[in-house]
Amino acid sequence: MTARKSGSRIETEIERCRSEGQWEKIPELVRQLSAKLISTDDVGELLLGEMKLQQFLKENPLKQNCSPRTARPPLTEARSHLTNVLQRGNLRTELLQEANVLMGKLCYVEGDYSEALTHFNRVNLDDMQLSSAPIYRLAMIAEAYATKGLCLEKTSTSCPPSSSEGDQEIITCYEKSGDIALLYLQEAEKALSAGMQNRSPKPGPVSQEQELGFFLETGLQRAHVIHFKNGNLTHGVGRFREILRAVETRTTQNLRMTIARQLAEILLRGMCEQSYWSPLEDPPAQSPLDEPQCTHTHPEYTLPRRARIYTGENLFCPQENTEEALLLLLISESMANRDAVLSRIPEHSADRVLSLQSASVVYDLLTIALGRRGQYEMLSECLERAMKFAFEEFHLWYQLALSLMAAGKSARAVKVLKECMRLKPDDPTIPLLAVKLCIGNLHWLDEGEGFAKMVVEMQDKAAEFRAKGFLALGLVYSLKATDASLRGVQEEYQKKALSAFQRAQSLAPTDHLAVFYLALQLAVSRQIPEALGYVRQALQLQGDDVHSLHLLALLLSAQKHYHDALNIIEMALSEYPENFMLLFTKVKLETLCRGPEEALLTCKHMLQIWKSCYNLTNPSDSGRGSSLLDRAVADRRQLNAVTLPDFSDPETASASSSSLMMSLPSSPSSLFFPLSSLYPTSPMPRSDPVGHVFCDHFPRRRLSSASSVHAPSVAASRVEQALSEASSLQSSTPKHGPLHPWMTLAQIWLHAAEVYIGMMKPAEAMACTQEAASLFPTSHNVLFMKGQVAELRGNLEDAKRCYEEALAISPAHIRSMQRLGVILYQLQRFSLAEKVLCEAVQLCSSSHLGWHSLAEVLQAQGNMAAASECFLTALQLEASNPIMPFTILPRAL
Amino acid sequence: MLAMDQGMVEEWLSEYKTFPETAISSYAASLKEKTSLVPALYKVIRENYSDLLEPVCHQLFEFYRSGEARLQRFTLQFLPELVWRYLSVSASRNPHHSGCIEALLLGMYNLEIVDKDGQSKVLSFTIPSLSKPSVYHEPSTIGSMALTEGALANHGLSRVVYSGPHLQRETFTAQNRFEVLTFLLLCYNAALSYMNSSSLQSLCHLSSRVCICGYPRQQVRRYKGINSRMLVTSEFLVQLITGIHFALCNGEPDLGSKALDDVLYRAQLELYPEVLLVGNAIKSSLRGAALKSNKEGTRSIQVEITPTSSRISRNAVTSLSIRGHRWKRHESQENSVDSPDSTPVGPVPIISVTGVSGERVANGEALRARTEAETLGGTTELGLDPRGQEVRRQKSLRRHVEDGTPSAGRLQF
Repeated sequence: MTARKSGSRIETEIERCRSEGQWEKIPELVRQLSAKLISTDDVGELLLGEMKLQQFLKENPLKQNCSPRTARPPLTEARSHLTNVLQRGNLRTELLQEANVLMGKLCYVEGDYSEALTHFNRVNLDDMQLSSAPIYRLAMIAEAYATKGLCLEKTSTSCPPSSSEGDQEIITCYEKSGDIALLYLQEAEKALSAGMQNRSPKPGPVSQEQELGFFLETGLQRAHVIHFKNGNLTHGVGRFREILRAVETRTTQNLRMTIARQLAEILLRGMCEQSYWSPLEDPPAQSPLDEPQCTHTHPEYTLPRRARIYTGENLFCPQENTEEALLLLLISESMANRDAVLSRIPEHSADRVLSLQSASVVYDLLTIALGRRGQYEMLSECLERAMKFAFEEFHLWYQLALSLMAAGKSARAVKVLKECMRLKPDDPTIPLLAVKLCIGNLHWLDEGEGFAKMVVEMQDKAAEFRAKGFLALGLVYSLKATDASLRGVQEEYQKKALSAFQRAQSLAPTDHLAVFYLALQLAVSRQIPEALGYVRQALQLQGDDVHSLHLLALLLSAQKHYHDALNIIEMALSEYPENFMLLFTKVKLETLCRGPEEALLTCKHMLQIWKSCYNLTNPSDSGRGSSLLDRAVADRRQLNAVTLPDFSDPETASASSSSLMMSLPSSPSSLFFPLSSLYPTSPMPRSDPVGHVFCDHFPRRRLSSASSVHAPSVAASRVEQALSEASSLQSSTPKHGPLHPWMTLAQIWLHAAEVYIGMMKPAEAMACTQEAASLFPTSHNVLFMKGQVAELRGNLEDAKRCYEEALAISPAHIRSMQRLGVILYQLQRFSLAEKVLCEAVQLCSSSHLGWHSLAEVLQAQGNMAAASECFLTALQLEASNPIMPFTILPRAL
Repeated sequence: MLAMDQGMVEEWLSEYKTFPETAISSYAASLKEKTSLVPALYKVIRENYSDLLEPVCHQLFEFYRSGEARLQRFTLQFLPELVWRYLSVSASRNPHHSGCIEALLLGMYNLEIVDKDGQSKVLSFTIPSLSKPSVYHEPSTIGSMALTEGALANHGLSRVVYSGPHLQRETFTAQNRFEVLTFLLLCYNAALSYMNSSSLQSLCHLSSRVCICGYPRQQVRRYKGINSRMLVTSEFLVQLITGIHFALCNGEPDLGSKALDDVLYRAQLELYPEVLLVGNAIKSSLRGAALKSNKEGTRSIQVEITPTSSRISRNAVTSLSIRGHRWKRHESQENSVDSPDSTPVGPVPIISVTGVSGERVANGEALRARTEAETLGGTTELGLDPRGQEVRRQKSLRRHVEDGTPSAGRLQF
């Protein structure tokens, strides 16, 4: 202590080596020290004893779950050094404490637990100073607590189990050990980074990643392991959270990753919303999570110094079990992702498996958490990050595909599914999922056909799925038939579709879908009585299937039993009161059976339903998953102010609609329309929904039909088709993009307009059309309806212009084409009319209107033979014409 | 039904009415002690024509309406059984015998969709984001994240609605049936920790039966009840799976895994991606965990001490190591490889596999060089043929190495 000057330098060097675990340097330093210091060799003894012990442990690391059974010899030297120190006992208290603690540790390593305990009891561990203690001593104290805990556990196993007081002491030891260990690691890292900056470029193999060692590892983890073993989830979770809230160090990264994952597991598997408490709250006094017998008294202790925890303003603190699980998993994921082993050389295959395992557990849990909350879009992005692990890993590919599908990213999903098929060619579900997407809004019929054939060709391997495969194949052919422009091709596909549906039905006789599609296919090819037979069969299998009921009504209308059809529709509506498809058909049937006034009442009713269904969404939420309404309508009151013109009374109806027209700027709908002007200005948290729909779904449909002019009915009722897709989902969850509510609304207005046209009321019809136009100004349906109004007003030139515009937007819109032909005929432009009508007939050969008009044009041109043939065809088709085209019924898997 | 059970149920029916408001809470606590009451009530619900069913349903609704959490949970424990009863009766097209069950279910639904003030309840939660500090992390230590559309949109915390608002319902229709039942299951799942094993078992039975009735698997499971197919929705199945997951991990591993298999079977036939996604994840996450079928019915959440050091060998190329790695042109320039904090000599080409960019950016130039490198390598990201991707990645890697020096020279001047 006298030679302070150079001695202190050596002392700091020794301290550094002890902190950094560079034991091999100690003997040399001790020699230097003893040269400087006169009085005590004991310090040297202590250091040498420690050095021997630590080096032994470094070479023979202890393992979890196996008792140390070390023969004495290798440690005799260490023991003798330490015994010397303790016997003489002339060191400072701190150093004597150190000697005792080291001795205790040595005894533990030798397997002598009770002797170890006597050493630990000789020093009161709580008396060892934490504040201003050098770093190595922090580690030493932490290890001492852990060792004491271990010894207590070992000795108490002989006693009767679960003497809860003894248990408590053990747990407290471990908890203190863990707390101090965290503090030590933070301090050690701080010192290390300070050292890195100060020291000249002398990198050396400084223990960049310090190994924790058996004792610290035990201290950090044993407490919560015991809690869980005792069935005390509350305390276990509390302990997890304490460890995780401590600021991360390099060494704790892996521990944090594991613990974060484990805590997330517990949150997802063992907790629910009602039994959850947030990390900053006190745990509930009583919790269903804990075993009833476990003790709730948990001794509180205070340490003078604790590890730093994450602090700051606006710290996010989860309030719900899924939130906390997600946060933990995202943290865990970011670390697991960092450890992804990328090299594919065989030597690293074990590492690869390890990194894959730890990551895929995290991704599975993420899937569970996000799936529960329906956040598939975010999930698909997370799983995409998992792709660096995914080489030849079926599970990861499949999960990505499914998440893309659930998130509505159909095109990518199909591509990923293809990879899944390569990895697992025997699974029939995968190609079936692909067909489902292909015949859905992708409309990739050729690809779909390929996938469906794969399933069908699997033979016995596909078992029950083979029926589904034939069903898919039939649907592909059926859709192809609708798209085909040549009559021969059409008929061929129809035949193929029929036989596929028949196979499906024979393979799965109790599947109502197979029978239903069989009926639908027969109906489309106008075999009405046969279709009726099958649809009845479908209804026997599944009494409340909405599409079967709808088809039955349409078939009855084709037989001109309009009242029966209306009865069926009303019956179906009692089970599906908010189904707009049924309501649209009802409007048409009512116009025929009960007169337009009734139909207008239904239109009004539809507007009310629309309002109650879509007005519910809460404008205050701004996240994803909420519908367009809350984005578009900044203020809920604006939507509430939507007044519905009273259709029941013609007088007020015309008044209110004309007032609507005149006061257009203040009209409620113009507050949020046109949509196109809306989205650049409105503050939208996520820009995708509106833009997404417009630049994704809509043009794609448009392109798909525009590029193939052979899509008459696709174009003819594109809005209807989109509607049917959407209404096959539950009305309250408009999943296929938020466009659907608005399309429905526009459609309601257009139906009302049509009823008014039937009543010869052009002004009211125009007002309704205008409402639809304010939603979709460039819709061909709107333009068509404007043309109808113009015709009603006798303004042929206007009507012609409207129809031409409609056709410019949707070249295959069959009704516009037919009306254009008629107008041209009325304008005496026969040859042009003939050309237009011929095209219309070719595009949609099952519409009697086209044939009829064509016949009239041919008659006017004097082509009597052809005209009479056309009249005959029209007559035949009219006899089996349903009130709405059969193809409005959705064809989807 | 035994006379004893009947007597107990009748006693239970009469006693509640006599309690004053103040005694309700102690009554709720005492319910737990009546161990044979719950099985007796199950019998009432299961029986075909029981006179007690109507008063029991009424009483259960009174419990639910009381607002006392323990009484509500008492009612809630029968939910799976009630749902099954309702579904099986309506599938057999004999709707007259389930009137009181329907009324009970609708009553519970209508109570749950509004909050205390009668406003429509909207259930929402916050999606955490790593870019915002939390009680568990600091954004700077996470390193840079992939710059995706979602990451940008989620830069802040976003609050998301996962259920609600819902419409009041007066009757069940085919259209609203599963909307109501799904929401009720959501409420049930929120109280899962409080459910006893008979309720969890009932949930597993419900899940299995709903999914297999009328399908070939019904024979495999030897279930002889109704044999017509029941319509389901994917949301309903996801809620069922959530409950099954809990049952699986909390004392019902056998029934739970059977039920999970059945739901997955149906989801495959219905081609529901959401259900398959969650179900597959549960299956795969439990494969690793030791699901010992502990007879005592204790919770099988087990935690072991795990080694804290990275188990991945140091010399394996990982995403992290590849980020810190610098590609050298000459073997001789091997001086400062190990000190990652010294400024890089040349640009650091980063092989971006998922767009994770490096943490250490020496200066703007290096950053620019990297973005160039990323655009070069970026096109091969996530190709669909991983084998091809590997080859391409290595090729582009070599290109980076070769390009390294000239571009460095250009950038330095």
